[in-house]
Amino acid sequence: MSGSPVVVEGLAGGYAAGADVLRGVSFTLEAGTITAVLGPNGGGKTTLFRAMLAELPAQRGVVRLVGRPAYVPQTDRTRLDFPVNALDVVLMGAYSRTPSWRRLARADRDAARACLDRVGLADAARRRFGALSGGQRQRVLIARALLQDSPVVLLDEPLSGVDAVSAARIDAVFDELRAERRVLLVATHDVEQARRWDRVVCLNGEQVAFGAPAEVLTTAVLRSTYGAELVVLAGGERAVAVDHHSH
Amino acid sequence: MLPEAFDAPFMQRALLESLMLAGLAGVLGSWIVLRRLAFFTHGVGTAAFPGLVVAGPAGVAPQLTGLAAALLYAGGVEWLGRARRVAVDAATGLVLVGALALGVILASDVFESGAGVDRLLFGSLIGLSDRDLWLTGLALAAAVVLHIALRRSWLAQGFDPGTARALGIRAELADRLLLLAITSAAVVALDAVGALLVTAVLVIPAATVRLVAPSVATLQAGTAVLAAVEGVAGLWLAYELNIGPGPAIAVLGGALFALVAVVTAVARRWT
Repeated sequence: MSGSPVVVEGLAGGYAAGADVLRGVSFTLEAGTITAVLGPNGGGKTTLFRAMLAELPAQRGVVRLVGRPAYVPQTDRTRLDFPVNALDVVLMGAYSRTPSWRRLARADRDAARACLDRVGLADAARRRFGALSGGQRQRVLIARALLQDSPVVLLDEPLSGVDAVSAARIDAVFDELRAERRVLLVATHDVEQARRWDRVVCLNGEQVAFGAPAEVLTTAVLRSTYGAELVVLAGGERAVAVDHHSH
Repeated sequence: MLPEAFDAPFMQRALLESLMLAGLAGVLGSWIVLRRLAFFTHGVGTAAFPGLVVAGPAGVAPQLTGLAAALLYAGGVEWLGRARRVAVDAATGLVLVGALALGVILASDVFESGAGVDRLLFGSLIGLSDRDLWLTGLALAAAVVLHIALRRSWLAQGFDPGTARALGIRAELADRLLLLAITSAAVVALDAVGALLVTAVLVIPAATVRLVAPSVATLQAGTAVLAAVEGVAGLWLAYELNIGPGPAIAVLGGALFALVAVVTAVARRWT
């Protein structure tokens, strides 16, 4: 198993010692896969990502990753009033490659433009980040992660509340990244989406299930993942998590 | 080309001081407004006040005791912010009132000093020493060096704190150095504009330019120019009206901010 790019074993932790938000998380992910991270709000999706970024104040267990993962936050965690344009934001993905007192390399600037082009925003490079639509902002943040060129990419609800054009574009980029043999972990509320990907991790304070969508996404598993939030539609085969967004 | 008021040597010193403060406003003022540190800046100035009062009787440079008091405050706020045990705003307000009261009591009752409370609180044109000017120059040089070395950390951490580390940025040290730079800038600005009006030079010009600036670089350049214009005009007003330069600069800056805020709001509605 040592060849796998993502190994998580017995992970537990939280934001203060003795107050675990997440327990019993173990999974191994292979290169070129997309994994859905499913769970209710407060179920530990963002906490799992924090732990994988080694930023959780209190964490136990094993997290072994190739390289430093790129992270795409929820767009409402960004400051919309900053005087930065889309290209400025994407270029942050190259910050670790150049000391602050030196100009960013020409190659990085060209690469940043290419990343904006990949998410379909080549024309928006000079537009102020805060003036873009929610879906466009999400795509800019994904372009920033693309510029980081990491083998592992963590995305926190990248498809929540984005327009159809943005969602289609983001889906296409995911497929490209999978073809490039990268590992994607995508926090989502959309069970149907999760069915189309390679692996699913269900979290509800602890790991409820992990595996291929066909095995994992059963009504029983979804019920223990979402509890009372779950609405089961006719037939019992299709389950939809009701999304109580509160931010 | 300068008005007659600036013929006197003490006015030329004040002019040099206010131009260097404009440089500090350009470099750091932008980060103060972007990183929402305006209240922190105001607090640092006020917290330094009791330090200034004891400097005279103790026979040391007011910047030294002022800096010590300000650092005590800055360290306390930073620690409170991380510990999250008390509401930071309430604790800060408490400390500020305490600092102001302590300064006034020390000045009037304990030392019966001739330092002049209003001069410490609102600044003065006269009596800027070589040492004052050198210290301001030093603070400006340090701020420029820190800006060049850390601007990307400050930007990324301010824009999206949850991702900074994933971008390979060590934000904690950079942020502490930013607070240190702001504290130093506030302390060297005290002689000219006074403990209560540090924000007049370090915050108001940047907040004004922020309303229209499209990038960090234009924000900084515009702020430096505006702070210089407001500083020089404020000095001239202070000289002509025989008032402290702090209030003159604050009133000018406040009026201009209000004007720009109204104009940009109206322009946005009509476009």
